[in-house]
Amino acid sequence: MLQEFIQQIVNGLVLGSTYTLIALGLTMIYGILGIVNWAHGELYMLGAFAGLYLAVVLKLPFIVALLGAMIILAVCGMLLERLVFRPLRQAPELNMIIGTLGISIFLMNTAIVLFSPNPLSFPTEYSNEYLSFLGIAITMQRLLVFFITVVLIALLNYLIKYTELGKAMRACEQNPDAARLMGIDINRISLVTCAIGAALAAAAGVLVGPIFLVSPQMGLLAIAKVFAVVILGGMGNVEGAIWSAFILGLAESLTAGFFSSDYKDIITFFILIAVLIFRPQGLFGNNVIEKV
Amino acid sequence: MLLECAGLTMRFGGLTAVDAVDLKLEKGQIMGLIGPNGSGKTTFFNMVSGIYKPTAGEVRLSGRNIAGRRPDYVASCGIARTFQNIRLFSGMTVWENVMIGRHCRMRQSILDDILGTARKQAEEKAAQEYLTGLLTLFKMQHMLHEQAKNLPYGKQRELEIIRAMASEPELLLLDEPAAGMNPQETAELIEFIRKLRDMGVTILVVEHDMKLVMNTCDRIAVLNNGRKIAEGSPREIQTNEAVIKAYLGKKVKEGA
Repeated sequence: MLQEFIQQIVNGLVLGSTYTLIALGLTMIYGILGIVNWAHGELYMLGAFAGLYLAVVLKLPFIVALLGAMIILAVCGMLLERLVFRPLRQAPELNMIIGTLGISIFLMNTAIVLFSPNPLSFPTEYSNEYLSFLGIAITMQRLLVFFITVVLIALLNYLIKYTELGKAMRACEQNPDAARLMGIDINRISLVTCAIGAALAAAAGVLVGPIFLVSPQMGLLAIAKVFAVVILGGMGNVEGAIWSAFILGLAESLTAGFFSSDYKDIITFFILIAVLIFRPQGLFGNNVIEKV
Repeated sequence: MLLECAGLTMRFGGLTAVDAVDLKLEKGQIMGLIGPNGSGKTTFFNMVSGIYKPTAGEVRLSGRNIAGRRPDYVASCGIARTFQNIRLFSGMTVWENVMIGRHCRMRQSILDDILGTARKQAEEKAAQEYLTGLLTLFKMQHMLHEQAKNLPYGKQRELEIIRAMASEPELLLLDEPAAGMNPQETAELIEFIRKLRDMGVTILVVEHDMKLVMNTCDRIAVLNNGRKIAEGSPREIQTNEAVIKAYLGKKVKEGA
Protein backbone atom coordinates (compact mmCIF):
# COMPACT_ATOMS: atom_id res chain seq x y z
CA MET A 1 0.00 0.00 0.00
CA LEU A 2 2.70 2.43 1.02
CA GLN A 3 4.81 1.33 -1.91
CA GLU A 4 1.91 1.85 -4.28
CA PHE A 5 1.37 5.28 -2.78
CA ILE A 6 5.00 6.32 -3.19
CA GLN A 7 5.04 4.96 -6.72
CA GLN A 8 2.00 7.07 -7.60
CA ILE A 9 3.50 10.15 -5.96
CA VAL A 10 6.58 9.72 -8.15
CA ASN A 11 4.38 9.33 -11.23
CA GLY A 12 2.43 12.41 -10.19
CA LEU A 13 5.63 14.44 -9.86
CA VAL A 14 6.74 13.34 -13.34
CA LEU A 15 3.38 14.28 -14.81
CA GLY A 16 3.37 17.55 -12.87
CA SER A 17 6.87 18.37 -14.16
CA THR A 18 5.73 17.88 -17.76
CA TYR A 19 2.66 20.04 -17.26
CA THR A 20 4.78 22.70 -15.55
CA LEU A 21 7.29 22.97 -18.37
CA ILE A 22 4.61 23.27 -21.04
CA ALA A 23 2.38 25.54 -18.97
CA LEU A 24 5.18 28.01 -18.16
CA GLY A 25 5.64 28.93 -21.81
CA LEU A 26 1.92 29.09 -22.45
CA THR A 27 1.25 31.35 -19.49
CA MET A 28 4.26 33.63 -20.18
CA ILE A 29 3.30 34.09 -23.83
CA TYR A 30 -0.22 34.96 -22.74
CA GLY A 31 0.95 37.33 -20.03
CA ILE A 32 3.42 39.25 -22.18
CA LEU A 33 2.08 39.00 -25.75
CA GLY A 34 -1.61 38.63 -24.88
CA ILE A 35 -1.81 35.66 -27.21
CA VAL A 36 -3.31 32.27 -26.35
CA ASN A 37 -0.97 29.92 -28.17
CA TRP A 38 -2.92 26.86 -29.32
CA ALA A 39 0.21 25.62 -31.11
CA HIS A 40 2.13 25.25 -27.85
CA GLY A 41 1.49 21.48 -27.68
CA GLU A 42 3.13 21.15 -31.09
CA LEU A 43 6.27 22.85 -29.78
CA TYR A 44 6.36 20.14 -27.10
CA MET A 45 5.88 17.47 -29.80
CA LEU A 46 8.58 18.94 -32.07
CA GLY A 47 10.91 19.13 -29.07
CA ALA A 48 10.41 15.42 -28.45
CA PHE A 49 11.18 14.60 -32.09
CA ALA A 50 14.24 16.85 -32.10
CA GLY A 51 15.52 15.13 -28.94
CA LEU A 52 14.77 11.69 -30.39
CA TYR A 53 16.70 12.53 -33.53
CA LEU A 54 19.70 13.92 -31.67
CA ALA A 55 19.85 11.10 -29.11
CA VAL A 56 18.83 8.02 -31.10
CA VAL A 57 19.93 8.81 -34.66
CA LEU A 58 22.98 10.96 -33.95
CA LYS A 59 23.71 8.98 -30.75
CA LEU A 60 24.46 12.06 -28.67
CA PRO A 61 24.34 11.79 -24.88
CA PHE A 62 20.84 12.40 -23.53
CA ILE A 63 21.70 15.67 -21.77
CA VAL A 64 23.33 17.05 -24.91
CA ALA A 65 20.27 16.03 -26.96
CA LEU A 66 18.07 17.80 -24.38
CA LEU A 67 20.04 21.04 -24.68
CA GLY A 68 20.18 20.72 -28.48
CA ALA A 69 16.41 20.26 -28.75
CA MET A 70 15.85 23.27 -26.48
CA ILE A 71 18.05 25.43 -28.69
CA ILE A 72 16.37 24.22 -31.91
CA LEU A 73 12.91 24.91 -30.50
CA ALA A 74 13.99 28.30 -29.14
CA VAL A 75 14.75 29.25 -32.73
CA CYS A 76 11.36 27.83 -33.83
CA GLY A 77 9.70 29.90 -31.09
CA MET A 78 11.38 33.06 -32.36
CA LEU A 79 10.29 32.29 -35.92
CA LEU A 80 6.74 31.75 -34.68
CA GLU A 81 6.82 35.13 -32.92
CA ARG A 82 8.22 36.97 -35.91
CA LEU A 83 6.04 35.34 -38.58
CA VAL A 84 2.75 34.75 -36.78
CA PHE A 85 2.39 36.42 -33.39
CA ARG A 86 3.80 39.84 -34.26
CA PRO A 87 1.43 40.47 -37.20
CA LEU A 88 -1.44 39.21 -35.03
CA ARG A 89 -0.70 41.33 -31.98
CA GLN A 90 -2.99 44.20 -32.98
CA ALA A 91 -5.61 41.85 -34.46
CA PRO A 92 -8.97 40.94 -32.86
CA GLU A 93 -8.94 37.98 -30.46
CA LEU A 94 -10.69 35.67 -32.94
CA ASN A 95 -7.91 36.14 -35.52
CA MET A 96 -5.30 35.20 -32.92
CA ILE A 97 -7.18 32.02 -32.01
CA ILE A 98 -7.67 31.01 -35.63
CA GLY A 99 -4.06 31.87 -36.43
CA THR A 100 -2.46 29.84 -33.66
CA LEU A 101 -4.94 26.97 -34.14
CA GLY A 102 -3.97 26.93 -37.81
CA ILE A 103 -0.29 26.71 -36.88
CA SER A 104 -1.10 23.82 -34.55
CA ILE A 105 -2.88 21.86 -37.30
CA PHE A 106 -0.15 22.71 -39.81
CA LEU A 107 2.68 21.56 -37.54
CA MET A 108 0.94 18.36 -36.47
CA ASN A 109 0.18 17.29 -40.03
CA THR A 110 3.64 18.22 -41.23
CA ALA A 111 4.98 15.96 -38.48
CA ILE A 112 2.66 13.13 -39.58
CA VAL A 113 3.98 13.43 -43.14
CA LEU A 114 7.61 13.62 -42.03
CA PHE A 115 7.69 11.10 -39.19
CA SER A 116 4.62 8.88 -39.91
CA PRO A 117 1.70 8.81 -37.46
CA ASN A 118 3.00 5.74 -35.62
CA PRO A 119 4.32 6.29 -32.10
CA LEU A 120 8.08 5.81 -31.74
CA SER A 121 9.92 4.62 -28.69
CA PHE A 122 12.74 6.80 -27.39
CA PRO A 123 15.20 4.68 -25.39
CA THR A 124 17.89 6.55 -23.47
CA GLU A 125 20.84 5.58 -21.32
CA TYR A 126 18.69 6.26 -18.23
CA SER A 127 15.67 4.14 -19.23
CA ASN A 128 17.05 0.89 -17.83
CA GLU A 129 18.74 2.22 -14.73
CA TYR A 130 16.82 1.89 -11.55
CA LEU A 131 17.02 3.40 -8.14
CA SER A 132 15.56 1.07 -5.51
CA PHE A 133 14.49 1.93 -2.02
CA LEU A 134 11.75 0.66 0.33
CA GLY A 135 11.16 -2.17 -2.08
CA ILE A 136 10.19 0.04 -5.00
CA ALA A 137 12.16 0.70 -8.14
CA ILE A 138 12.14 4.04 -9.95
CA THR A 139 13.81 4.51 -13.31
CA MET A 140 16.49 7.16 -13.42
CA GLN A 141 14.61 8.74 -16.32
CA ARG A 142 11.72 9.62 -14.04
CA LEU A 143 14.01 11.11 -11.42
CA LEU A 144 15.76 13.04 -14.14
CA VAL A 145 12.47 14.57 -15.31
CA PHE A 146 11.74 15.92 -11.87
CA PHE A 147 15.30 17.03 -11.15
CA ILE A 148 15.76 18.88 -14.43
CA THR A 149 12.36 20.53 -14.10
CA VAL A 150 13.35 21.89 -10.69
CA VAL A 151 16.61 23.22 -12.15
CA LEU A 152 14.80 24.89 -15.05
CA ILE A 153 12.23 26.47 -12.73
CA ALA A 154 15.06 27.81 -10.57
CA LEU A 155 16.82 29.28 -13.62
CA LEU A 156 13.61 30.88 -14.87
CA ASN A 157 12.93 32.30 -11.44
CA TYR A 158 16.41 33.86 -11.36
CA LEU A 159 15.91 35.28 -14.85
CA ILE A 160 12.53 36.84 -14.08
CA LYS A 161 13.31 38.17 -10.61
CA TYR A 162 16.93 39.22 -10.72
CA THR A 163 17.92 40.27 -14.22
CA GLU A 164 17.28 43.45 -16.15
CA LEU A 165 15.70 41.31 -18.88
CA GLY A 166 13.31 39.75 -16.38
CA LYS A 167 12.37 43.16 -15.04
CA ALA A 168 11.65 44.34 -18.58
CA MET A 169 9.49 41.23 -19.13
CA ARG A 170 7.48 41.89 -15.99
CA ALA A 171 7.09 45.54 -16.98
CA CYS A 172 5.71 44.51 -20.38
CA GLU A 173 3.29 42.17 -18.68
CA GLN A 174 1.99 44.87 -16.34
CA ASN A 175 1.77 47.80 -18.70
CA PRO A 176 3.13 47.50 -22.24
CA ASP A 177 2.57 51.18 -23.11
CA ALA A 178 4.46 52.48 -20.11
CA ALA A 179 7.16 49.87 -20.70
CA ARG A 180 7.80 51.20 -24.20
CA LEU A 181 8.20 54.70 -22.86
CA MET A 182 10.88 53.42 -20.49
CA GLY A 183 12.85 52.49 -23.61
CA ILE A 184 11.93 48.81 -23.51
CA ASP A 185 11.76 47.27 -26.98
CA ILE A 186 8.57 45.17 -26.82
CA ASN A 187 9.43 43.23 -29.97
CA ARG A 188 12.68 42.07 -28.42
CA ILE A 189 10.96 41.05 -25.19
CA SER A 190 8.30 39.11 -27.17
CA LEU A 191 11.01 37.32 -29.11
CA VAL A 192 12.84 36.30 -25.93
CA THR A 193 9.60 35.21 -24.27
CA CYS A 194 8.69 32.94 -27.19
CA ALA A 195 12.20 31.49 -27.31
CA ILE A 196 12.09 30.65 -23.59
CA GLY A 197 8.53 29.28 -23.79
CA ALA A 198 9.34 27.04 -26.75
CA ALA A 199 12.60 25.82 -25.18
CA LEU A 200 10.77 24.82 -21.98
CA ALA A 201 8.12 22.95 -24.00
CA ALA A 202 10.92 21.19 -25.87
CA ALA A 203 12.51 20.21 -22.57
CA ALA A 204 9.19 18.64 -21.52
CA GLY A 205 9.03 16.69 -24.78
CA VAL A 206 12.57 15.36 -24.55
CA LEU A 207 12.22 14.47 -20.86
CA VAL A 208 8.98 12.48 -21.06
CA GLY A 209 9.35 11.17 -24.61
CA PRO A 210 11.40 8.24 -23.26
CA ILE A 211 8.77 7.45 -20.58
CA PHE A 212 5.73 7.50 -22.82
CA LEU A 213 6.04 7.38 -26.62
CA VAL A 214 6.80 10.04 -29.20
CA SER A 215 4.11 10.70 -31.80
CA PRO A 216 2.87 13.65 -33.88
CA GLN A 217 -0.40 13.70 -31.90
CA MET A 218 1.20 13.92 -28.45
CA GLY A 219 0.88 17.70 -28.41
CA LEU A 220 -2.87 17.59 -28.87
CA LEU A 221 -3.34 15.39 -25.82
CA ALA A 222 -1.01 17.47 -23.70
CA ILE A 223 -2.38 20.89 -24.57
CA ALA A 224 -5.89 20.18 -23.23
CA LYS A 225 -4.44 19.29 -19.82
CA VAL A 226 -2.04 22.19 -19.88
CA PHE A 227 -4.83 24.65 -20.58
CA ALA A 228 -6.53 23.30 -17.49
CA VAL A 229 -3.29 23.91 -15.57
CA VAL A 230 -2.91 27.46 -16.84
CA ILE A 231 -6.52 28.35 -16.06
CA LEU A 232 -6.24 26.84 -12.58
CA GLY A 233 -3.11 28.87 -11.94
CA GLY A 234 -4.66 32.08 -13.28
CA MET A 235 -3.90 33.12 -16.86
CA GLY A 236 -0.49 34.77 -17.05
CA ASN A 237 0.47 33.78 -13.50
CA VAL A 238 3.81 31.94 -13.58
CA GLU A 239 3.88 30.81 -9.95
CA GLY A 240 0.26 29.68 -10.07
CA ALA A 241 0.97 27.57 -13.14
CA ILE A 242 3.74 25.67 -11.32
CA TRP A 243 1.58 24.88 -8.29
CA SER A 244 -1.46 23.84 -10.27
CA ALA A 245 0.64 21.67 -12.61
CA PHE A 246 1.81 19.60 -9.66
CA ILE A 247 -1.64 19.55 -8.05
CA LEU A 248 -3.18 18.19 -11.25
CA GLY A 249 -0.32 15.77 -11.89
CA LEU A 250 -0.63 14.29 -8.40
CA ALA A 251 -4.45 14.21 -8.51
CA GLU A 252 -4.31 12.39 -11.82
CA SER A 253 -1.80 9.75 -10.88
CA LEU A 254 -3.35 9.07 -7.48
CA THR A 255 -6.74 8.62 -9.15
CA ALA A 256 -5.21 6.31 -11.70
CA GLY A 257 -3.44 4.30 -9.00
CA PHE A 258 -6.20 3.95 -6.44
CA PHE A 259 -9.38 3.99 -8.54
CA SER A 260 -8.90 3.37 -12.20
CA SER A 261 -6.92 5.06 -14.92
CA ASP A 262 -10.24 5.57 -16.71
CA TYR A 263 -11.06 8.25 -14.15
CA LYS A 264 -7.83 10.24 -14.29
CA ASP A 265 -8.89 12.62 -17.06
CA ILE A 266 -12.31 13.01 -15.46
CA ILE A 267 -10.64 14.26 -12.29
CA THR A 268 -8.61 16.88 -14.15
CA PHE A 269 -11.55 18.36 -15.94
CA PHE A 270 -13.82 18.03 -12.93
CA ILE A 271 -11.36 20.20 -11.00
CA LEU A 272 -11.18 22.61 -13.94
CA ILE A 273 -14.95 23.02 -14.17
CA ALA A 274 -15.28 23.43 -10.42
CA VAL A 275 -12.62 26.14 -10.42
CA LEU A 276 -14.21 27.92 -13.37
CA ILE A 277 -17.52 28.00 -11.52
CA PHE A 278 -16.31 28.96 -8.07
CA ARG A 279 -13.02 30.80 -8.70
CA PRO A 280 -12.92 31.92 -12.32
CA GLN A 281 -9.78 33.99 -11.75
CA GLY A 282 -7.89 30.75 -10.99
CA LEU A 283 -6.76 29.21 -7.71
CA PHE A 284 -3.75 31.50 -7.41
CA GLY A 285 -4.82 34.46 -9.51
CA ASN A 286 -6.03 37.70 -8.05
CA ASN A 287 -4.82 39.81 -10.93
CA VAL A 288 -6.67 38.87 -14.05
CA ILE A 289 -4.90 40.61 -16.90
CA GLU A 290 -7.31 42.56 -19.04
CA LYS A 291 -5.98 43.27 -22.49
CA VAL A 292 -7.83 46.24 -23.92
CA MET B 1 17.73 74.65 -28.92
CA LEU B 2 17.01 71.39 -27.10
CA LEU B 3 13.57 70.79 -28.59
CA GLU B 4 12.40 72.24 -31.87
CA CYS B 5 8.99 71.35 -33.28
CA ALA B 6 8.21 72.72 -36.73
CA GLY B 7 4.84 72.51 -38.45
CA LEU B 8 3.83 69.58 -36.28
CA THR B 9 0.43 68.33 -37.50
CA MET B 10 -1.80 65.41 -36.57
CA ARG B 11 -4.98 64.52 -38.43
CA PHE B 12 -7.40 61.79 -37.38
CA GLY B 13 -9.51 61.21 -40.50
CA GLY B 14 -11.11 64.57 -41.17
CA LEU B 15 -10.28 66.05 -37.77
CA THR B 16 -7.12 68.09 -37.42
CA ALA B 17 -6.22 67.67 -33.76
CA VAL B 18 -2.92 69.58 -33.96
CA ASP B 19 -2.43 72.02 -36.81
CA ALA B 20 1.10 73.12 -37.82
CA VAL B 21 2.38 73.94 -34.35
CA ASP B 22 5.89 75.41 -33.94
CA LEU B 23 7.50 75.21 -30.53
CA LYS B 24 11.03 75.85 -29.31
CA LEU B 25 12.42 74.96 -25.94
CA GLU B 26 15.86 75.91 -24.61
CA LYS B 27 17.89 73.75 -22.28
CA GLY B 28 16.97 74.26 -18.65
CA GLN B 29 13.70 75.99 -19.45
CA ILE B 30 10.32 75.01 -18.10
CA MET B 31 7.57 75.55 -20.61
CA GLY B 32 3.86 75.23 -19.90
CA LEU B 33 1.45 74.08 -22.58
CA ILE B 34 -2.08 75.19 -21.79
CA GLY B 35 -5.40 75.41 -23.56
CA PRO B 36 -9.06 74.45 -23.20
CA ASN B 37 -10.12 70.79 -23.28
CA GLY B 38 -9.73 69.22 -26.70
CA SER B 39 -7.24 71.82 -27.88
CA GLY B 40 -4.66 69.17 -28.79
CA LYS B 41 -2.22 69.30 -25.85
CA THR B 42 -2.10 65.59 -25.17
CA THR B 43 -1.98 64.79 -28.89
CA PHE B 44 1.01 67.12 -29.13
CA PHE B 45 2.68 65.22 -26.27
CA ASN B 46 1.95 61.89 -27.90
CA MET B 47 3.67 63.00 -31.07
CA VAL B 48 6.76 64.25 -29.25
CA SER B 49 7.06 61.02 -27.21
CA GLY B 50 6.57 58.76 -30.24
CA ILE B 51 3.17 57.28 -29.42
CA TYR B 52 1.59 58.96 -32.46
CA LYS B 53 3.30 59.30 -35.81
CA PRO B 54 2.75 62.92 -36.88
CA THR B 55 0.88 63.46 -40.16
CA ALA B 56 3.37 66.21 -40.99
CA GLY B 57 6.13 68.23 -39.41
CA GLU B 58 9.34 67.70 -37.51
CA VAL B 59 10.38 67.05 -33.94
CA ARG B 60 14.06 67.84 -33.40
CA LEU B 61 15.86 66.92 -30.20
CA SER B 62 19.26 68.65 -30.15
CA GLY B 63 18.97 68.88 -33.93
CA ARG B 64 18.13 65.23 -34.56
CA ASN B 65 14.73 64.58 -36.16
CA ILE B 66 12.84 61.98 -34.11
CA ALA B 67 9.32 62.50 -35.50
CA GLY B 68 7.55 59.19 -36.11
CA ARG B 69 10.16 57.03 -34.35
CA ARG B 70 9.07 54.29 -31.94
CA PRO B 71 8.49 55.24 -28.26
CA ASP B 72 11.34 53.07 -27.02
CA TYR B 73 13.73 54.77 -29.45
CA VAL B 74 12.50 58.23 -28.43
CA ALA B 75 12.98 57.27 -24.78
CA SER B 76 16.55 56.17 -25.42
CA CYS B 77 17.21 59.53 -27.15
CA GLY B 78 16.45 61.25 -23.86
CA ILE B 79 12.76 62.12 -23.70
CA ALA B 80 10.86 60.78 -20.70
CA ARG B 81 7.22 61.38 -19.89
CA THR B 82 4.42 60.86 -17.40
CA PHE B 83 0.75 60.30 -18.08
CA GLN B 84 -2.49 62.11 -17.38
CA ASN B 85 -3.81 58.91 -15.80
CA ILE B 86 -1.07 57.23 -13.77
CA ARG B 87 0.63 54.32 -15.48
CA LEU B 88 2.93 52.82 -12.92
CA PHE B 89 3.86 49.15 -12.80
CA SER B 90 1.37 48.83 -9.98
CA GLY B 91 2.25 45.32 -8.83
CA MET B 92 5.95 46.15 -8.50
CA THR B 93 7.76 47.96 -5.73
CA VAL B 94 8.83 51.60 -5.78
CA TRP B 95 12.43 50.50 -6.27
CA GLU B 96 11.60 48.16 -9.17
CA ASN B 97 9.61 50.92 -10.84
CA VAL B 98 12.53 53.34 -10.82
CA MET B 99 14.95 50.59 -11.87
CA ILE B 100 12.82 49.94 -14.94
CA GLY B 101 12.76 53.68 -15.55
CA ARG B 102 16.52 53.40 -15.91
CA HIS B 103 16.27 50.57 -18.45
CA CYS B 104 17.29 52.61 -21.47
CA ARG B 105 20.50 53.75 -19.73
CA MET B 106 21.65 50.16 -19.20
CA ARG B 107 24.33 49.24 -21.72
CA GLN B 108 25.01 45.66 -20.63
CA SER B 109 24.48 42.76 -23.04
CA ILE B 110 22.05 39.90 -22.37
CA LEU B 111 25.02 37.72 -21.42
CA ASP B 112 26.31 40.26 -18.89
CA ASP B 113 22.80 40.47 -17.53
CA ILE B 114 22.23 36.74 -17.08
CA LEU B 115 25.68 35.82 -15.84
CA GLY B 116 25.87 38.80 -13.49
CA THR B 117 29.32 39.85 -14.71
CA ALA B 118 31.44 42.60 -13.20
CA ARG B 119 30.17 44.95 -15.90
CA LYS B 120 26.58 44.38 -14.86
CA GLN B 121 27.44 44.84 -11.20
CA ALA B 122 29.24 48.09 -11.95
CA GLU B 123 26.28 49.41 -13.91
CA GLU B 124 23.87 48.33 -11.25
CA LYS B 125 25.94 50.02 -8.57
CA ALA B 126 26.01 53.28 -10.51
CA ALA B 127 22.25 53.03 -11.03
CA GLN B 128 21.74 52.34 -7.36
CA GLU B 129 23.72 55.42 -6.30
CA TYR B 130 21.93 57.74 -8.70
CA LEU B 131 18.46 56.39 -7.90
CA THR B 132 19.00 56.41 -4.16
CA GLY B 133 20.04 60.04 -4.43
CA LEU B 134 16.98 60.83 -6.50
CA LEU B 135 14.59 59.06 -4.14
CA THR B 136 16.18 60.72 -1.13
CA LEU B 137 15.90 64.16 -2.70
CA PHE B 138 12.19 63.62 -3.22
CA LYS B 139 11.72 62.04 0.22
CA MET B 140 10.70 58.57 -0.90
CA GLN B 141 13.74 56.64 0.33
CA HIS B 142 11.78 55.09 3.21
CA MET B 143 9.16 53.46 0.96
CA LEU B 144 11.39 51.56 -1.47
CA HIS B 145 9.79 48.18 -0.90
CA GLU B 146 6.22 49.41 -0.89
CA GLN B 147 4.13 48.22 -3.85
CA ALA B 148 3.33 51.13 -6.15
CA LYS B 149 -0.42 50.53 -5.93
CA ASN B 150 -0.37 50.96 -2.14
CA LEU B 151 1.04 54.50 -2.23
CA PRO B 152 -1.24 57.50 -1.67
CA TYR B 153 -2.36 59.24 -4.86
CA GLY B 154 0.00 62.20 -4.64
CA LYS B 155 2.96 59.91 -4.01
CA GLN B 156 2.04 57.76 -7.03
CA ARG B 157 2.20 60.87 -9.21
CA GLU B 158 5.55 61.82 -7.74
CA LEU B 159 6.84 58.27 -8.24
CA GLU B 160 5.86 58.46 -11.89
CA ILE B 161 7.92 61.63 -12.26
CA ILE B 162 10.88 60.08 -10.41
CA ARG B 163 10.62 57.00 -12.65
CA ALA B 164 10.79 59.30 -15.68
CA MET B 165 13.80 61.07 -14.11
CA ALA B 166 15.55 57.74 -13.54
CA SER B 167 16.77 57.68 -17.13
CA GLU B 168 18.45 61.12 -16.69
CA PRO B 169 16.40 62.52 -19.58
CA GLU B 170 17.31 65.58 -21.64
CA LEU B 171 13.66 66.55 -21.70
CA LEU B 172 10.88 65.68 -19.28
CA LEU B 173 7.26 65.75 -20.45
CA LEU B 174 4.66 66.04 -17.70
CA ASP B 175 1.07 65.42 -18.76
CA GLU B 176 -1.28 67.10 -16.25
CA PRO B 177 0.74 66.23 -13.17
CA ALA B 178 -1.72 67.96 -10.85
CA ALA B 179 -4.84 66.22 -12.21
CA GLY B 180 -7.01 64.96 -9.38
CA MET B 181 -4.82 66.45 -6.65
CA ASN B 182 -6.13 68.40 -3.69
CA PRO B 183 -4.69 71.90 -3.03
CA GLN B 184 -2.14 70.61 -0.52
CA GLU B 185 -0.89 67.91 -2.88
CA THR B 186 -0.66 70.51 -5.64
CA ALA B 187 1.41 72.78 -3.39
CA GLU B 188 3.78 69.87 -2.72
CA LEU B 189 3.97 69.18 -6.45
CA ILE B 190 4.95 72.80 -7.13
CA GLU B 191 7.81 72.38 -4.63
CA PHE B 192 8.72 69.14 -6.38
CA ILE B 193 8.87 70.76 -9.83
CA ARG B 194 10.96 73.63 -8.45
CA LYS B 195 13.47 71.09 -7.19
CA LEU B 196 13.59 69.62 -10.70
CA ARG B 197 14.25 73.11 -12.06
CA ASP B 198 17.13 73.56 -9.64
CA MET B 199 18.58 70.31 -10.98
CA GLY B 200 18.58 71.94 -14.43
CA VAL B 201 16.01 69.64 -15.99
CA THR B 202 14.24 70.88 -19.12
CA ILE B 203 10.48 70.38 -18.76
CA LEU B 204 7.45 70.69 -20.98
CA VAL B 205 4.30 70.51 -18.88
CA VAL B 206 0.64 70.30 -19.87
CA GLU B 207 -1.53 71.52 -17.02
CA HIS B 208 -4.93 72.99 -16.27
CA ASP B 209 -4.01 74.16 -12.80
CA MET B 210 -3.05 77.81 -13.39
CA LYS B 211 -1.47 78.18 -9.98
CA LEU B 212 1.00 75.46 -10.89
CA VAL B 213 1.66 76.80 -14.36
CA MET B 214 2.13 80.43 -13.31
CA ASN B 215 4.38 79.44 -10.38
CA THR B 216 6.72 77.08 -12.17
CA CYS B 217 6.93 77.92 -15.87
CA ASP B 218 9.41 80.28 -17.55
CA ARG B 219 7.36 80.42 -20.70
CA ILE B 220 3.84 79.40 -21.67
CA ALA B 221 2.39 78.35 -25.02
CA VAL B 222 -1.37 78.32 -25.53
CA LEU B 223 -3.18 75.93 -27.86
CA ASN B 224 -6.74 76.35 -29.06
CA ASN B 225 -8.45 74.09 -31.60
CA GLY B 226 -5.09 72.56 -32.48
CA ARG B 227 -3.39 75.89 -33.23
CA LYS B 228 -0.88 77.80 -31.16
CA ILE B 229 -2.54 81.13 -30.43
CA ALA B 230 -0.01 82.68 -28.07
CA GLU B 231 3.39 82.23 -26.47
CA GLY B 232 5.18 84.27 -23.85
CA SER B 233 6.02 84.75 -20.18
CA PRO B 234 3.29 83.97 -17.62
CA ARG B 235 2.63 87.70 -17.21
CA GLU B 236 2.19 88.23 -20.95
CA ILE B 237 -0.14 85.26 -21.27
CA GLN B 238 -2.35 86.43 -18.42
CA THR B 239 -3.15 89.64 -20.26
CA ASN B 240 -3.25 88.26 -23.82
CA GLU B 241 -6.54 89.05 -25.60
CA ALA B 242 -6.62 85.90 -27.72
CA VAL B 243 -6.02 83.69 -24.68
CA ILE B 244 -8.76 85.30 -22.66
CA LYS B 245 -11.12 84.90 -25.60
CA ALA B 246 -10.22 81.21 -25.99
CA TYR B 247 -10.88 80.50 -22.33
CA LEU B 248 -13.94 82.67 -21.74
CA GLY B 249 -15.52 82.78 -25.20
CA LYS B 250 -16.24 85.80 -27.39
CA LYS B 251 -17.43 88.98 -25.81
CA VAL B 252 -21.17 89.14 -26.21
CA LYS B 253 -22.23 92.34 -27.89
CA GLU B 254 -24.70 94.37 -25.95
CA GLY B 255 -28.26 93.88 -27.08
CA ALA B 256 -27.47 90.81 -29.14
